[in-house]
Amino acid sequence: MSKELKYWRGVEELENTPEFTKLKENEFAEQLPMDEFLGDSALAEGKTPRRDFLKFLGFGVTAATLAACETPVTKTIPYLFKPEEVTVGIANYYASTYYDGHEYCSVLVKTREGRPIKVIGNEMSPVTLGGANARVQASILNLYDAERLKGASKNGAPVSWATADKEIGDKLAAIAGRKGKIAILSSTIISPSTTRAIEEFTTKYGNVEVVQYDSVSYAGIRTANALSFGKEVIPTYHFDKAETIVGIGADFLASWLSPIEFASQYAKGKRIAAGANHKETKLSRHFQFEAAMSLTGSNADLRTMVKPSDLGVVAINLYNEIAKAKGKAALTGRSLGKVDANIAKAAKELIASAGKSLVVAGSNNPDVQVVANAINDMLGNYGNTIDLSVANETKKGNDKAVANLIAQMNAGAVEAVLLYNVNPVYTLPNAKDFSAGLKKVGLRVSFAANIDESAAECEYVCPDNNFLESWNDFNPRTGEFSLGQPTIAPIYNTRQAQESFLVWAGNPTPYADYIKATWQAKTFPGSGFGSFTDFWNKALHDGVYSIGGGLAVETAPAETVAPAKVDEHGEHATPHGRPQAEAAAAPVVAAAIAADPAALSTAAANLNKIKGGAFELVVYEKAGLGNGSLANNPWLQEMPDPISKVTWDNYITMSLSDMDQFKFNTINGQEQLSNVAEVVVNGVSIKLPVYAQPGQAKGTIGIALGYGRTKAGKTANNIGANAFPAVSINKDNGHFEYNAFDVKVTATDETYNLAGTQTHHTMMGRAIVKEATVDAYKNDAKAGNAPILLALSDGTKDTPGNVNLWEDHPRLNHKWGMSIDLNTCIGCSACVIGCQTENNVAVVGKDEIRRGRDMHWIRIDRYYTSDMTEKKAEEEGVGAIKKFLDMEVPSESPRVVFQPVMCQHCNHAPCETVCPVLATTHSNEGLNQMTYNRCIGTKYCGNNCPYKVRRFNWFKYADNPQQFDFHMGDTLGKMVLNPDVIVRGRGVMEKCSMCVQRIQEGKLTAKKENRRPIDGEIKTACQQVCPTNAITFGDLNDESHTVTKHIKEPRMYHLLEEVGIQPSVFYLTKVRNVSESEL
Amino acid sequence: MTSKTQCSQLLMDRLKTFSVKHFKKLVLVFALISFGFNGYAQPDGEKLFKANCSSCHKATDQKLVGPGLKGARGRWGNDDAKLVKWVQNSQAYLKTGDSYANNLFKEYNGSVMPNQTVSADEVKAILDYVDSYVPPVVVTNTPVAETSGEPAETNWTYIWIGLGLFFVILIIILAPVRRNLANSAQAKQGKVYNPDASFWSETKAWIYSHKKPVMLLGFLVFLMLFVVGWNALSGIGVYEGYQPEQPIKFSHKIHAGENKIDCQYCHTGVEKSKHANIPSANVCMNCHKYIQEGPVTGKGEIAKIYAALDYNPEKGTYGPNPKPIKWIRIHNLPDLAYFNHSQHVKVGGVECKQCHGPIETMDVVQQFSPLTMGWCINCHRETEVKVDSTNLYYTDLKSKFNAVHPGEKFTVEQIGGLECGKCHY
Repeated sequence: MSKELKYWRGVEELENTPEFTKLKENEFAEQLPMDEFLGDSALAEGKTPRRDFLKFLGFGVTAATLAACETPVTKTIPYLFKPEEVTVGIANYYASTYYDGHEYCSVLVKTREGRPIKVIGNEMSPVTLGGANARVQASILNLYDAERLKGASKNGAPVSWATADKEIGDKLAAIAGRKGKIAILSSTIISPSTTRAIEEFTTKYGNVEVVQYDSVSYAGIRTANALSFGKEVIPTYHFDKAETIVGIGADFLASWLSPIEFASQYAKGKRIAAGANHKETKLSRHFQFEAAMSLTGSNADLRTMVKPSDLGVVAINLYNEIAKAKGKAALTGRSLGKVDANIAKAAKELIASAGKSLVVAGSNNPDVQVVANAINDMLGNYGNTIDLSVANETKKGNDKAVANLIAQMNAGAVEAVLLYNVNPVYTLPNAKDFSAGLKKVGLRVSFAANIDESAAECEYVCPDNNFLESWNDFNPRTGEFSLGQPTIAPIYNTRQAQESFLVWAGNPTPYADYIKATWQAKTFPGSGFGSFTDFWNKALHDGVYSIGGGLAVETAPAETVAPAKVDEHGEHATPHGRPQAEAAAAPVVAAAIAADPAALSTAAANLNKIKGGAFELVVYEKAGLGNGSLANNPWLQEMPDPISKVTWDNYITMSLSDMDQFKFNTINGQEQLSNVAEVVVNGVSIKLPVYAQPGQAKGTIGIALGYGRTKAGKTANNIGANAFPAVSINKDNGHFEYNAFDVKVTATDETYNLAGTQTHHTMMGRAIVKEATVDAYKNDAKAGNAPILLALSDGTKDTPGNVNLWEDHPRLNHKWGMSIDLNTCIGCSACVIGCQTENNVAVVGKDEIRRGRDMHWIRIDRYYTSDMTEKKAEEEGVGAIKKFLDMEVPSESPRVVFQPVMCQHCNHAPCETVCPVLATTHSNEGLNQMTYNRCIGTKYCGNNCPYKVRRFNWFKYADNPQQFDFHMGDTLGKMVLNPDVIVRGRGVMEKCSMCVQRIQEGKLTAKKENRRPIDGEIKTACQQVCPTNAITFGDLNDESHTVTKHIKEPRMYHLLEEVGIQPSVFYLTKVRNVSESEL
Repeated sequence: MTSKTQCSQLLMDRLKTFSVKHFKKLVLVFALISFGFNGYAQPDGEKLFKANCSSCHKATDQKLVGPGLKGARGRWGNDDAKLVKWVQNSQAYLKTGDSYANNLFKEYNGSVMPNQTVSADEVKAILDYVDSYVPPVVVTNTPVAETSGEPAETNWTYIWIGLGLFFVILIIILAPVRRNLANSAQAKQGKVYNPDASFWSETKAWIYSHKKPVMLLGFLVFLMLFVVGWNALSGIGVYEGYQPEQPIKFSHKIHAGENKIDCQYCHTGVEKSKHANIPSANVCMNCHKYIQEGPVTGKGEIAKIYAALDYNPEKGTYGPNPKPIKWIRIHNLPDLAYFNHSQHVKVGGVECKQCHGPIETMDVVQQFSPLTMGWCINCHRETEVKVDSTNLYYTDLKSKFNAVHPGEKFTVEQIGGLECGKCHY
């Protein structure tokens, strides 16, 4: 193309004047404005001006230098009364709990000098198993959100708490006096003390209804279990005990129900222990049936694309296959063509591993859940992989009650509405009805932290504390409790919602004491502790407390040694210190109740009625933004979506072939604009750019929730479009339906620039991610990991490790290394946020990301398989050009691999040899060090890095709110920075340091205790938060370290080993539980 | 550990109401004195007061823990016998129903005065001492320069400058005289006399005739200026000797030098953390609750601690309006450098004074070391790692090192102490 075009250097060249031809020979073709520059006569002739110039220059330079050197007087202000537990310079960890009504996670909060700076998972929690996903970790930034309300407000204007309490109290009393109805619309309440506080409130005001509402509803499961088993609960699932897992539209690794817990459990079935006999490898097998490519689907061994309207039929057909084998009556189903083959395969394997299998369905339609229940019941999974006796309490929203409340509000039957932890104007599909109803309510109070979409329609906003400023208690599942404790005094004049309830109920007890009283009455009796204080201190220290019941749960990760947690008194806590831990290992409860057959046939009949249109829509949650409650969080906005790698936006995902029909641009890049399409669903129009998503079922599209906020704050407002209006309410059963079966998609003339961090999606036939099938691995432990041989000058061949351009240096002390198990990495991106928090990585904004200037020190490369392979090209005689062009195109239904890539700390690092100022050097412990204060920003190192993991500070990203108005731009946001890591300035290169600050800290601790660092003692930030323990870090010189075992594994390989740069990071090949024929 | 013993020692010395040890010492002193003089000696009221009473009572009428003893005799009705009984066993005396004693007991919220094993004569000696006690005149506003600088040196500089000026003026006055004399001498010899020749043209002529020495001199002057300039420029940002005046005239000389308080008693973080910690004001109060007056600045500076804490020394209560003390930071490392005290003090066994100098002699602390990177690196080059056989972190490492580098010193440099990434991240 470009060959045919001719670009002129200007009008002169186009006209080709004689002057131009002459001037063309010069360096500057244009006339340089020399005369203008020398126009000053004094300059042209004079002697003195030049001298003056030099004088001024000399003076100026010296003056500027000296002025710059003047150090301001630094003040240092010690505590007046230093709290006993604080040692300045040493972090304290406090156990607490994150629960926003959507996500539950038991966490540890790292604080420095009384300021929380990091949230990580609590390994003592039997519920979340030590994991913490991206959202939970990033939530700390919302504490330092300068846009939070600074105090109570009335109609948008600040009002004192006393006035607010007086006015609200009077109004409530007046309503109670005339027996008017007060409604509390709340997210699921799992806090025993909150329940008690609301009960007190109810007692005082009489006619109070509490309606629990989940923005993303799971009411369908509860309804289905009521139908099947007479128990309206959500059971606990045990993916770790399942050998065969079938997911029907359930994204259980990223969003469905309890993803932190499930990711950890799931990884157990995928882990190949170091040193295990490869012939006896046993991996779980995972089938996924879904329309849009989810994180879970991308990890499945066998993924089948199914339209949302067919998902119910998939469940029915699966039931029928199993029923056939078990000699039971079949349900009415229909043929799904090619899909049926995989259903049959799944059924066969489910039967083979009956009792050790698990079928989960993501739909909120109780009919699908009823069929799934019946399948699990037939397989004998209840009591084994599903525990109905232990209920998951975190999702108790009642869709019908919400609809009922809206109807009552519109009928004028509700006199007061209190919105606690919900944002219905944004999250309700029928938000317009809600808003209309809200206008008819006399007293409208919200507890939102800022004036969000719903709070804006309320008269009073009584801002709740951030969870890091609050006392709280939770009961996330039967028999499990956890505590939330404040790690900082409230930054603003906010008040905990529970205290507001208590104040209005006339009870002035501080909420901390109130919780203590609850626990003294509820959990303390029978705990075996001598005094309540002992019990309370233990529970508060651990953050969690079990009173037992349900299936036994392993808390410690399978392979690594659980590190000792240092508590606030600097003592090592014993991981098995819970006196109830043994009691918790209660016997397995068998499911006594069989699934109800009548409910089953009704469900099947309903499912058969669902008919799909030309386009069907899946509304899904992203691993980053979730339901959008944390949207005003630059970390989450900038975190690349694990699948699409797009940041700062939501979009319409569509299959490549559908996009071709619309003639949409399928390539996402800096210069390629995406086409915008209009989707009409439920009478609502949503305009979004279209993104080509391999693995998206033909005739389906997907849109993520959480975007399109209008009143969340400067970071989130007006990014993307809100997909909640695309959620519908099922007319038959009243539940929210997250699939739309007939939507209209039309192309528009508009274009839009999406900012993605990965624009190339296939490996082009190279062995970047190495993988093998499980059978091949059983035969040969080095399957898929053939050694790379380099041709030598003497005609022989050798491995890259033996071919050296440089001398090796002895590593006498430590030799740090990191292994990344590609078999357990699920691509969830928790590590990205973990690293960003730890290392003060800047947020750069959408425009910079679009230019490829992302700053994340760790990226997760995601590759799709292509239909074209080297082998196929050879067999079919495809030419080289066509071969490579085809290789760039991912398959319609590709297999997906994830590969976290950070600085590989090469021992013969190419970046080090090109640095002209020795700003990047190698340590004698094997670390590739980056010295920011030496760096002059030539970027040679970045150019010479084969992994492209070096990041350049193109701008001043901190303290520059005019250009980069993110958390580092304001004083409050900067409170989150880690004081042990410097904030980089403009013009310097940065990259993964392997958390050198943690290494130094760990070494120092060991030295002080007269010993060598033990395995698992020093953890990098990415390793620490990995829910699947895919990352292992340690000393390769120490035989007792797990990483040393990993490097001896036959699965071990170095990325781009052939370059011969001897990285310290290595990968373990992915072993996929598929047969060769399924590839 | 040392800090604790130091602390308790200090408290023992200064605060404890009575200690057997002291009593034994006292007996020994008396015994020696009696042997020496071989006769009866009057008890020394001042010594006895300082040993037994001063931690709770002042010799003036000010309150400390207990009331000031000035005028105690009068308050007790000039009856020494009553006072002796009271001092020897206050609880027993209270039972006698003496109204003054009982009121006193109530006034001090029932805090019991411990029984003192002092004889009636000794009590009298103490009271005599108190009656004759005149508080020393407090010197306020002690200028820093007077105590720390050497005034003689300053005077010499002025003398030199004065002398120099004098000679310059002399030269200026005498130069024309000399020139006229030279001219007239030349005129006598019949040489051309140029009365218009200026001083400058003559100098130029002289320079032309003495090119070599002038060039040499010029070169030397240039060299000198270069060296001076180089040193001045390389000293930019180095604050060796930085000695700012602090908001409270805290004297390390008194605390660490004279009273021998261990550094770690106040700087608690030095073995645990990267920061040695500036002590919080409540640490000051461990002693200054009782020591309300210092030997140099009197009450003024100690009162600043009370003001910061909003502490009322009369009542012994803390108020609601504390204000933090804004110390001026002396040792400022740039943000890009990471330094950890515990690594150096606890692991490396470096003495505080190696970097901070003779703190115990400084009334006002100054930066003793340059704190430049060259200074850090130099020490890392020269310092050998202290390999203690009990520290398993280093023992194997040392033997490995010796195997690879036989005969070489096992310095900090050898274990990576010069690497950029050890301090810059």
